[in-house]
Amino acid sequence: MRLRKKIAVVGVATALVASVVLIAPAQAVSKDLVVGITLDIDKLDPQAATSFATVRALGVVYGSLVEVGPKLDIRPGLATSWGFNAAGTQLRLHIRKGVKFHDGSTFDAQDVKASIERILDPATKAAARANLLTITSITTSGLDVTLHLSTPNVPILAALDGVNMAMLSSDDIKAGKIGKSVNGTGPFKFVSWEPGQSVKLEKNATYWGKAPKLDTVTFRVIPSEASVLSALNAGTVQFAVITDPLIAKQVGKNLKMYKTPGLAYMVLQLNARKAPLNDVNVRLAIQCAISRSEVVKTAQSGEASIIGPITSPAYRSNPNDRPCPNADIAKAKKYLANAGYATGLTIKSIVAPTQFATASAIAQSLKSQLAKAGITLELELVDDSTFISRWLAADFATAIANNGGRIDPDTMYTRYFTSTGNLNKVAGYSSATLDALFIKGKSTSKVAERKAAYRAISEELENNAVWIWLFAPYEYRVTSKSLTGFVPLATGSLIELRKADLK
Amino acid sequence: MQVVSRLRRFIFSPTILRIFSVLSTLFGISIFVFVVLRVIPGDTITGSFGIETGVLTPDQIAQLRHYYGIDQSLLLQYLSWMKSFLSGQLGYSFSTGVSVLKLTKSALPVTVELALIGTILGVVIGIAIGMFSARKPGSFRDFAGQLFGLLALAIPGFVLSTAIVTIMANKFHYFPNGLEYMPPWENPWTNFQQMMFPGLVLGIAVAAPVMRTTRSALLETVDKDFVRTAHGKGVAPRKVQYRHILRNSLIPIVTMTGIQFGYLLGGAVIVEQIFALPGMGRQVLNAITKREYATVQSSVMIFAIMFVTINVLTDLIYRKIDPRIK
Repeated sequence: MRLRKKIAVVGVATALVASVVLIAPAQAVSKDLVVGITLDIDKLDPQAATSFATVRALGVVYGSLVEVGPKLDIRPGLATSWGFNAAGTQLRLHIRKGVKFHDGSTFDAQDVKASIERILDPATKAAARANLLTITSITTSGLDVTLHLSTPNVPILAALDGVNMAMLSSDDIKAGKIGKSVNGTGPFKFVSWEPGQSVKLEKNATYWGKAPKLDTVTFRVIPSEASVLSALNAGTVQFAVITDPLIAKQVGKNLKMYKTPGLAYMVLQLNARKAPLNDVNVRLAIQCAISRSEVVKTAQSGEASIIGPITSPAYRSNPNDRPCPNADIAKAKKYLANAGYATGLTIKSIVAPTQFATASAIAQSLKSQLAKAGITLELELVDDSTFISRWLAADFATAIANNGGRIDPDTMYTRYFTSTGNLNKVAGYSSATLDALFIKGKSTSKVAERKAAYRAISEELENNAVWIWLFAPYEYRVTSKSLTGFVPLATGSLIELRKADLK
Repeated sequence: MQVVSRLRRFIFSPTILRIFSVLSTLFGISIFVFVVLRVIPGDTITGSFGIETGVLTPDQIAQLRHYYGIDQSLLLQYLSWMKSFLSGQLGYSFSTGVSVLKLTKSALPVTVELALIGTILGVVIGIAIGMFSARKPGSFRDFAGQLFGLLALAIPGFVLSTAIVTIMANKFHYFPNGLEYMPPWENPWTNFQQMMFPGLVLGIAVAAPVMRTTRSALLETVDKDFVRTAHGKGVAPRKVQYRHILRNSLIPIVTMTGIQFGYLLGGAVIVEQIFALPGMGRQVLNAITKREYATVQSSVMIFAIMFVTINVLTDLIYRKIDPRIK
């Protein structure tokens, strides 16, 4: 009896050890890449895609007219060359010849026209529509497409990049197939989507560039970043984008990590249309009470770069160009006294801890710093959807937000800080000076003039403490060592998986 | 007169009362979930478009409200969902473009399997340690058993899950849940590996209260007259232990297991997140973030039906264990 018991125990132990050892086949050398994502994609219409997961997955399936490269240079995509007329009111694009959609049909100028018209159609609810509103008409001639603009708009060229500017088949648009089936020109073809589990892609052998080396790419949903890292360590996932700096710090030497400052930024948004924040003294007091390096140190373990308003690399604001580049409590108290709050005041702030991994820690850091100047920050922790709905309704005094950036400051901020911008209500501030500066920045193609305009915008925003810009978090792309040839892009696009290989 | 009294007896019979209470519980839950979802800020549009909702014009928002069916009165929305729920389709998930039934068909078996493994492991481990402890109260083995109960209660599931995942992946490069999820009928071996640890985490959570209940129930029964009689009649100690003591202590143990099953469904939400299992917990969580009303409502109703069913089953088991209960 005892012997039998012993045999049973040994048997169970052997089975457990065997189960650990037998996982090895999962790491067999193959050209099948598995990308770990924490959130599932939420739609199949690339032009209406807004979530990071959808943008990343569909970004390798569809193509756009131009592409933003690793050095934020604008490179040919489905258009091989382009040029503006002297007035900057016409953009002529020459379309790449011989490009095929995944269903075998040929990509032509009519597809470009139909795709852009679909974005401009309000019924599409296209995410990039706001960037293209200066387009009055589109004409085609052979392989040439001309965009006719109502006002000079040079930044529109950079705005043609990305999955929201995906070129679709005009036949698919007519047949109402967009969002129901997937037919792009990108390096990978869509195979299937198992909601909540995975999106499967396979290589497009007829891609216009070099044929991809990977056979398949699977985006697998693993809801927590800690588990994604575990899957990378175990070799069941070979690629992932991590946002939590604490998780990124645990990445071991067995993996490769690309750390790039993103365009997205963390900001304490102030609603300057509501008292007491309608008083510039109160806003400046908040600016002076906050040490951004302290926030980065305590909430981000030092993992972020301190920024001013503009994160677009070519136009990046100098983070020290502000009335209080470092915390200055005496100055903060003076501003408060000027505003009539010498004894301090209480301000509420909305925070969505699920929106950004360290949002709660950032909120706590701000709260303790502001307290030193006599400002009590009352935190309201809400879920994502609540945050968004209150944010859109400008139903907040302050909001700790993680906003997306763009490679051109015009597309990044026109919608927020011009008086007619669709998010101006959320921005809580506009002025005639800002309106004029944005028009100036948009209407010239001379880099020096544009830089001067955006520097002035940045100063205007900082001197009025419109918002308190904090830092730009890093994006960590973690890959197994077997993945070679991948180039990370600041836009977050994974299009360079077309050159990647598993060895 | 006789007909009336017979009718009254029928209506007030325990079975009919039980059915009525089950149905009214489910109805109450359906109303509660429906109302709570609409009271919290945000709707399907903000859930789907995020901050880009700000780009939409009032016309587009009106169109979308119509498309998602949230422009109707609350009563109509409730009735139309109920109709779809009762028809078996369970409503429509806009983000995935399929019916909630289709989503549930793949998610429910995962959660049921996880819950069953958790319950079985929990009951087996709990009763075993409970009996082990109760054999000699106050002894070292009792102390060890109780210490297990205390630790298992004190360590939250998410801590244990994260610890297991991290240690197994970092030290042994083992994380089968990073592979595609495999149902048991497709690949039982991979399924076993994917379910082993999450099942254990839930099992430990169930084992602690079962162990404590078992221990106290056994200690109470062990002093009863019939046990002494059995010993006096010379029945073998092992037989007394199982047939007389354990059997007569089962009622509280079964009650505790039934209650724990409900908590287990809640615990599964977190465990499914950490172990990347595409179950009902994840379905509900995603749907809440996206404010997909039909998906949340129908999934919660399925949880509620499961919970109520387990309760009814518990009652039936009572009758089997103790025929005096009617």
